[in-house]
Amino acid sequence: MKSLILKDLFNIGHNAKSMLFILVVFAVALIPFSDVEGYIFVCAILCSMMIVTTFSFDDNSKWTRYAMIMPVSKKELVVGKFVVLAIFCAVGSLFGLVIGSISGFAMRKITFDFAGIGELLFLALAAWVISLIFGSMSIPLVFKFGAEKGRVLLLVSFLIPAGICFGIYQLLTILGVELTDQLVFILLCCSPLPVS
Amino acid sequence: MDAILQVENLTKQYVGFMLDHVSFSVPKGTIMGLIGENGAGKSTTINEILDLIHKDDGTVTFWGQELSSSSQLKEDIGVVFDDINFYDTLTPAKVGKISSAAYKQWDEYLYQGFLNRFQLPSDKEIKTLSKGMKMKLCIAVALSHKPKLLILDEATSGLDPVMRDDILDVFLDFVQDENHSILMSSHITTDLEKVADYITFIHQGKVLFCKTKDELRYHYGIIRCGAAMLDQLDKDEILAYRKDDYQWNVLVADKGKARRKYKNAVVDDATIDDILLLYVKGEQAR
Repeated sequence: MKSLILKDLFNIGHNAKSMLFILVVFAVALIPFSDVEGYIFVCAILCSMMIVTTFSFDDNSKWTRYAMIMPVSKKELVVGKFVVLAIFCAVGSLFGLVIGSISGFAMRKITFDFAGIGELLFLALAAWVISLIFGSMSIPLVFKFGAEKGRVLLLVSFLIPAGICFGIYQLLTILGVELTDQLVFILLCCSPLPVS
Repeated sequence: MDAILQVENLTKQYVGFMLDHVSFSVPKGTIMGLIGENGAGKSTTINEILDLIHKDDGTVTFWGQELSSSSQLKEDIGVVFDDINFYDTLTPAKVGKISSAAYKQWDEYLYQGFLNRFQLPSDKEIKTLSKGMKMKLCIAVALSHKPKLLILDEATSGLDPVMRDDILDVFLDFVQDENHSILMSSHITTDLEKVADYITFIHQGKVLFCKTKDELRYHYGIIRCGAAMLDQLDKDEILAYRKDDYQWNVLVADKGKARRKYKNAVVDDATIDDILLLYVKGEQAR
């Protein structure tokens, strides 16, 4: 499995400079007008999306066929992608944390006290988890349908639930039901999400 | 016959094509050439042998074991496809690192030796290498984990004669060890004429024959004759025949016998190319 992880890291290394550039552009565009927290999430999500790019590289070089003749099992092939995703998310969260903290401190948006640092670390961890969940949804889709179709399906798989949620929210508003924080929390606890 | 690879009744059904009970074996210390026209089923056979596509029927064993039974088997099998399977931006040095992490038997010293021998720069990106250099890199990778069996699917296609000759030398070196074998598919039959010990001919998904190269070279012949002479030929001796502009070309399995029997006919030696052409483009007598 180490070889699979190395292969993806070497492959994506070529794109790292452009990703770095994009993240810096986002830092300049987001942090002055928004907050550091949002920037950390953006960095983590953007980096998690690179996992689909690694599939494109694999498709391009017919890697999967070659991997199957190596002493690597299909299970390792799948687990390897999740490990690479976890690395990408960690790099994104950490980058967001470091650049966000420096920029936020420079713009006096955050303070480096115990509570402030703790909150930022917690946010970076939350960004890592959420980007990991986001990326994890893409892996089975791309394995099943390939990188190109997988990308479209990934978008659809986010838009449809978002559309349904928005529709329900609108319907509840029309019916006069007000969604309070407490109600949302209760609904979240009742949903299958915490179980999974 | 001590076989490294045993293929029995390999079958695969596609719409419009069927790989039909393909059987052959690759003995130790030999090179088996798999020939056939494009679309004959050579690559399908290799993909089934390597478990890359699902078999409808048949068995494939390496040293008596199925490929799925042990991961050690994959250490002992080196595979080269017709194109490189590493992404364009990788370098031979990175390819070496990836492969060394995959194979327990990886020998970095051997790999560096192949890179030097093939004059492959270790820090140049794959996209800057020529087709021949890419194939050499694939062969270097396949050989550096010390396999006992090499499987090559059209590995020499698209290379110039000088490159092909270099690579064929590497294959001949490899089989100097009598525990090593090579299965190579190619439609460049001259390559196989140079190095192969056995030839398996697949035509329209079926094995037409599996014979030693020497038998084909020293016994098979082509009778060049007119229509009148063709009628006089013993039909049981004819394998395939085809009309040229002015004459009939008739493939026979025993050219010596044909020369003695038909003194007025011209009986030429048959190259593997001739045999392939007559079987594919001509009429088969039996």
